[in-house]
Amino acid sequence: MERRLIRPADLVLVLAAAALAAGLLLRQNSQSPGSCVAVIEKNGAEVMRVDLGRITEPEEIDLGGAYRVVLLAEPGQISFLSSDCPDQTCVRSGRLTKAGQAAVCLPARVSVRLEGGSPGADAMTG
Amino acid sequence: MRSFIRKLTLRQQKRLSLILAVVLAVLLLAIVLVWSRISERNSRLETTGYAMGSLMQQTVYGPNGQEASDAALQAVTELENLISWRVEDSDVARMNDEAGSEWITVDEKTSSLLALCLDVAEKSGGVFDPTVLPISKLWNFDEDVFTPPTQETIDEFLPYVNYEDLRVKEEEPSASLKYHYMGVDLGSAGKGAGCDEAVASYAASGVSAAIAAVGGSVGVYGTKPDGTLWSITVRNPYSAGDGEEILGVMEIAEGFVSTSGSYEKTREADGVTYHHLINADTGWPENNGLVSVTVYSKDSGALSDVLATAAFLLGLEDGQALLEAYGAEGIFITEGRAVIVTDGFPSFSLTLDSFELAG
Repeated sequence: MERRLIRPADLVLVLAAAALAAGLLLRQNSQSPGSCVAVIEKNGAEVMRVDLGRITEPEEIDLGGAYRVVLLAEPGQISFLSSDCPDQTCVRSGRLTKAGQAAVCLPARVSVRLEGGSPGADAMTG
Repeated sequence: MRSFIRKLTLRQQKRLSLILAVVLAVLLLAIVLVWSRISERNSRLETTGYAMGSLMQQTVYGPNGQEASDAALQAVTELENLISWRVEDSDVARMNDEAGSEWITVDEKTSSLLALCLDVAEKSGGVFDPTVLPISKLWNFDEDVFTPPTQETIDEFLPYVNYEDLRVKEEEPSASLKYHYMGVDLGSAGKGAGCDEAVASYAASGVSAAIAAVGGSVGVYGTKPDGTLWSITVRNPYSAGDGEEILGVMEIAEGFVSTSGSYEKTREADGVTYHHLINADTGWPENNGLVSVTVYSKDSGALSDVLATAAFLLGLEDGQALLEAYGAEGIFITEGRAVIVTDGFPSFSLTLDSFELAG
């Protein structure tokens, strides 16, 4: 083969590298639009992540513990189903549907917050 | 170009390849470095922890986010160890132990918070009172079976609630309760004061921007990388029944926000629902038609928290007057789903149409 500066093989290599880079960049920047990931934490440490975009039918998540906390994961939303805590504030918090929303059972130190998707507000008061 | 290259010897061609390869490598490295610098500045970390008896959520922007977040959580915990009556050997616990006998030396954070509470107590005519502990202890919302106190019991303990008998010397700094059985309860100020600590901690950490929520109190620091304002949603007091958590959203550049609502903590006994916002004058949960008050203060989280409680206890008219006296702004929500926003409140939009903007 005649000696050339740039060979066809080189071009293939460069294109492959560019494609890989573009792919990685795209994957990092995007997320399935509208889907949220519920981050479940016990004592501030993450114990579970639930992609609410992948849930097709209501699913109970039994976290057990002293207060027998049970969450209910549904398509696009999650809530506290039951807890043995005296004030039931967690259960009354209702359904979390948007990124940034959070609910907590303080006695059990179980918190659920939604991440990802189209970002909601920076914080909530009240 | 081709002819130029053909004129080079094989060795020179190889050298040219090598040089080009090195240049490419250096370029790539430079790109990676610049890109990682930019993404570091924009990097965003969300953390959760527990402090001041509540959930503390933080979002921190910039490098060293985890360290900044840990430092802020630590700062709030340290404050809790000073001002919580539940923490053994805290300034407040020691004051309560020595009620009726000794003056106690306290941290200046404690004395300045006490002074702030005394000021609001006075301006609220005593319906808000930091010495409410003897009464707030009667309303135990955490016990397994909730039993509200009787009127007789309340009458028995009311005499020990009197902010005029709490003395604070800010210069020393020290404080004392004049009579035995009195007690200080800073539950209405703790979360807001925690936000003050968090924001001060962010300033010291060197993060570019951060937001902290301690329970329902929120404090912001700096400007987000995208330059937009901080958006803070207001909880719908009827979220459980409505199935809709957010009632509206505000946008702020700086400052602190707190909310006091009757829906936050309730217990039931014999078919009656009791909430945790106790009027220090009557000893009973306040019933004046308000369901929640949100207060914005540009400079002080503690003030936003205390005023939210005091304004709730005072009701719509007197509550607004109190906020005005402090240059604070507020959102008052009534049981009838009316939403009253004070004139100077930072940009607020009502997003739930089951509520109505009034006033």
